[in-house]
Order: sequence, then C-alpha cells, then structure tokens
Amino acid sequence: MKRRAFMLSVGGAAAGMVLLPRMAFAEAGKIDWYTSSDTNILDFWTNVVKPKFEAANPGVILNLVDAGDSAGQLAIADRALAALQTKTDPQADYFESGEPRLPAGAIEAGLYVNLKEAGLSNWSKVNPLGIDTDYSVPYRGSQVLLAYDTAKLDPAKAPKTWADLVTWIKTNPGQFIYNRPDKGGSGGNFVRRAIYEANGKDPAAFTTSNFTAEAAEKALTPAWDILKDIAGSLFDNGAYTGGNTPSLQLLGQGAVTMIPAWSDQAISAINTGVLPETTGLVQLQDLALPGGFSRSVVLSNGVNKDAALKLVDFVLSEEIQSAVLSELGGFPGVGWDYVSQDLRQKYADVIPTTIPSFPAGEWEKAINDGWYRNVAPNVDRAA
Amino acid sequence: MTLGATSDIVGTKTRRGLTGLLLVAVPVFLVGWMIIWPIISAIGRTIWLPNDGGTGRSFSLETYIFFFTDQYSLNNLSVTLWTTGICALLLVLICLPIALYLRFATGRLAAYVQGLAIFPMFVPSIILSYAIIRVLGPNGTVDLLLNSVGLPHIRSPYLTPWGPVIGLVWDNIPLTVLILLAGLGSVSNQSIEAARDVGAGRLAVLWHIILPRISNSILVAVSFTVLGIFSAFTLPYVLGPAAPEMMGPFMQRTFRDLNDPTNAITQAVIAFCFCIVFGLFYVRSVAKNRNP
Repeated sequence: MKRRAFMLSVGGAAAGMVLLPRMAFAEAGKIDWYTSSDTNILDFWTNVVKPKFEAANPGVILNLVDAGDSAGQLAIADRALAALQTKTDPQADYFESGEPRLPAGAIEAGLYVNLKEAGLSNWSKVNPLGIDTDYSVPYRGSQVLLAYDTAKLDPAKAPKTWADLVTWIKTNPGQFIYNRPDKGGSGGNFVRRAIYEANGKDPAAFTTSNFTAEAAEKALTPAWDILKDIAGSLFDNGAYTGGNTPSLQLLGQGAVTMIPAWSDQAISAINTGVLPETTGLVQLQDLALPGGFSRSVVLSNGVNKDAALKLVDFVLSEEIQSAVLSELGGFPGVGWDYVSQDLRQKYADVIPTTIPSFPAGEWEKAINDGWYRNVAPNVDRAA
Repeated sequence: MTLGATSDIVGTKTRRGLTGLLLVAVPVFLVGWMIIWPIISAIGRTIWLPNDGGTGRSFSLETYIFFFTDQYSLNNLSVTLWTTGICALLLVLICLPIALYLRFATGRLAAYVQGLAIFPMFVPSIILSYAIIRVLGPNGTVDLLLNSVGLPHIRSPYLTPWGPVIGLVWDNIPLTVLILLAGLGSVSNQSIEAARDVGAGRLAVLWHIILPRISNSILVAVSFTVLGIFSAFTLPYVLGPAAPEMMGPFMQRTFRDLNDPTNAITQAVIAFCFCIVFGLFYVRSVAKNRNP
C-alpha cells in the first residue's frame, strides 16, 4: 500500500513536470510583440502606440517585450519556425523590426504573413522606397548621420565625404568615437559605411543571399584596413563605446567633437536637452551612412494573427505616422503625402532620397566577429 | 531482552538518519539538477562534437584546442585573470582597514561608516556603470574638480581595463567588509588586551593576534569576490575596452552575436575550471571550521 502511494505520487510529480511547460499558452486577445530596437522605440510604443491602439480596439492588449538585440529576436523567430513545424504555439505575433528572410527559409516555410495580400487598408500608402519584400512593412525610418559640436567645428567645415571625414579624424586626434558594431546601429552602420568604401561604394554588392566565407574575407579585409588606419586617431587612442547612448553621452559631455548617431536618437536627444542646442547634424554626400526602414513582420502561426494585422494597419495610420515624426524623430514609413503638411515642412532635412541598407544575417556575424578580431585589438592604447 | 533493546536503538537511529537525509534531499536534488547536471552536460557537449557529415557525435577536443591556440581568446582570458587578481588584492587592502575600524570603533561615526560601506550593495551595476562614466569619465566630475583648481587633465579609466576594476571593487566592498567583519567577531577583546599588557604594539597585535584568527575569513572573502568578478558582465561590458574583453561579455557575444553555442560553452567550461579552484578553497575552509 505504501509502495503504491509512493509510486502514485512520484508518477504524478513526473507527469506534472512533463505537462508544466505546455501550460504556458499565449492568451487570445494579447498580442505578443517583440522588439530588438533601443529603449526610445520601446518607450514610443509604450507611451504612444499601445494606449492609442488599445483604446481603438477594446479587448485587445499589447504585450510589449524587449528581445534585447537582433540576435535575441532571431532566437524568438527560430523558436516560432520550430513551432510552425510542430504546429504548436509560438507565443509571438509581431516583430517590431524583423527581417523576413531570417531565419533562412522562413518565407518559404510560410512563417510570415504576406502583408501585401493580407487586405490591409493602408498598404497602398506605404512609401515604395521602403518596401523590401511583401512580407514586411516599413513603418519608420532612421539613418545614421554625423552629430558634431558646432562650438568646436564650424558647420561650413564639417566633412561631406568619407575621404574628408578620414582626413578630419586624423587631423583632430581623439575627437571622434564610434561604438562597437554589435552594440548599436550608429557604430555598426559607420563600420558598414567603411565596408562600402572599400568595395566601390556599391550598396547592391551585399545581399542576404550572397554571403560566403570567401566573399566576406575579400570584402571585409580592406575595410578593416581602413578602420585600423583611423583607430589610433580615435578618442583615447582607439576606444570604442559600448552602445549608441554612451556615444551620445561622450558628445554631450564635450569629450569628443563628432560621433556617428541615429538621426532619431540625435534629434530627440537635442529636443530633450541631452545634447546641447549647438549640436550640428551632417550627412555624407558621396554615399550616405547606412540606415534604413524598420520593417515589422507578422507571424502566420501566432494565436493573435488577425489582431496583429489590425495593429499593422493602425501603425500605418496618419495618427501614428505623424507621431513617428514628431515623437520619435524618425521618418515615416508611408509616403510623405500621408503625413500632415506642417510636419512635412518642419522635418524637411531628414527626408531621405535614398538610404543604403546593409543586409543582416550571416554578413552581420562576419562583420561583428571580424571587427572584434581585426580592428579592436590592433591599436596601441598606451601611445 | 538485551538484544531487543539494542535493535530498538539501532532502529531509532536509522529512522532519524532517514529524516535527516530527507531534509537534505531537496537541496541536494536541486544542486544536482540545476548545477551538477548542467556542468556535466556542458562538458559533454564540448567534447562530443557533431560529426562533419551531420550524423552522430564523436570525441574531439577541437574547441578547447581552438581556444588555447587562439591569441584573441587567450588575451581575453588573461585580462579576466588580471582583473580578478587586481580586484581581489585591492578589495583586501581597502576592506581590511574598514572592517578593523568597524570592529573596534564605537559610536555614531562608526554606524555612518558601516552604512556607507554597505551602500554599494543596493546600487544596481548598470546604474553604477553610468554613474562612473559621469564621475570618472572624460570631462566628468573628477576632471572638472581637478581643472577648477588648475590641475592637469587626467586620463580617464573609462573604456580601459581599469574602468571595470574600479567599478567591480566598489561593487564588492559590502560583501568583503561583511565577511571580514564576521571573521573579526572571533577575535576576543581579552586576547588583544593580553597582548597589549605584555607590550605588543599595534602592528604586532595585527600581525600575531588578529590576522591568524581571520586568515580563514580573508580566504573566504577572496574566494567569494573572485567567483563573482570572474563572471562579471555589466561593468566590464559598459566600462571596459572593446578588446580584450572579459570572459563574461566574450561568452555572451560568442553565444548570441556569433550564434556559436559550442564555443561559448567551451569558454564557460574553461572559466568554470578556474573558478572551481577558488570554490575548493572555500569548501576546504568551511570544512576545516566544522572540525576544529
């Protein structure tokens, strides 16, 4: 009898442990939303999009989750792809900025919703410049540009080409810093601009599908040489900050004169007083520093797919797109005709004509690892 | 009759032993499940690598050979050891006087000093990092103060290996002070007075009376801080240089950015092997204390 009771309780406990993970189902009416972007984007969603969307759609709530970085979000996407194959619940509905080509084969497997054919009422407003595939919707844009202190550098003398920039960095040692390429897009896209420079300034040369180890070796080695060449002239003989925000902090403290910065972060930092009003912004004219649209994707196997599609439509509405400009300092994902006239005039200087955009995935890994092994260590910091 | 009584006693003993075993069963099970098993699994996964063809696994030390022949990885390991060693040394040098003061001083000032020494425990390391950038960073508070009295600009420790050292030492002061203070509790006032009576000076008291009594506590404090500092993440990540990195950020980057769990686990196993040495020091000193 005792043995039987023992067996029953052990068996029960074991069964409970097997069943436990399965009890974590996604809730209906709760959109599981993930982002790999910085805090300012999460704040924008928390303070602007979420209350407006929930007010407009009673019964639906947005669960905003910070996936940390693109690698973190990709892990969620990997999980969703596995869930698609086993027909289980991915517990994810919406990626704030996703690349539908990742994980490899996701589009073919049907992981992401074809948004063009999903019957969205606002799809026709989307800026054609921003459309990458039919599986992702560009809803905000941002570009890396150079932010500098006009008290130390006359705007008329601010560098306008890559060659000018390199000359300026070398003649003003210690006055420029960019962040580690994996820790934030401002430094990441500065590194990518160097890669374009070393490869004929042709953004079309890099796609998600043309990565091979040999191609990376050939394309990246000359770029590392360019970056090693300027390393000794950077702040503190070759220091690199740990993210977009620490770079802004160094510029704000007057420790450096110029940094690469995201246009939206720089504009909101100036508006909130984190950067002084004397901060100038300049874009390279020979080939702009990369940037791009952030494109949202909707998961086809999410429990709340229909609500998530409503969210896409909502995000493309004039109300939110104007807020992208006024609250976020980004540029809208819809055509400029679909935001209010006065906003259009006010933000005329961030309206882009072209934005080079570097592919993610394998290239990103090669760039990050290559930079850490080739550029970061090879500088004599003691000098 | 006698036989019966003996077996009764034996029986009671067994039952008591069983209760004791049941009481420790849950923690032992948890340690086995959440610590010992992951270690075994991690070692297994780094020496049984998948074959090239994708079928099956076979024994290979490839990832370890890569780590120990890769100069970049070795630099990261050595900067981690350097940081840990410097931090442990600085912590003992800074915390021992504080603990001695708190042990022998009385009054309101001592209470304030104690509060100040424990304060870092309540500051999250991410906040500490940004505060250190503000204070010790370029054009930070220290720079401004020095400049205002006409002293030259100092080179900021921010983004150099000294940045994490300063942060980690500050962050670990409370734990070290508390452990040393607990150890100093075993030094009786009488023994110190007795030594003074026979003419021992302050240094002689410290050297011959106090230090021998608290050597164990120093060892425990050093083991604890070393274990924490070896795997530190936030402070080296925000305050340290891009290269060489400490093992914490290096493992995280290998795992997430490079999507290379095998090499990340290899780095973790190597870090674990260094930490286990200090873990054994700690276990040994605890065991020694239990059997005087």
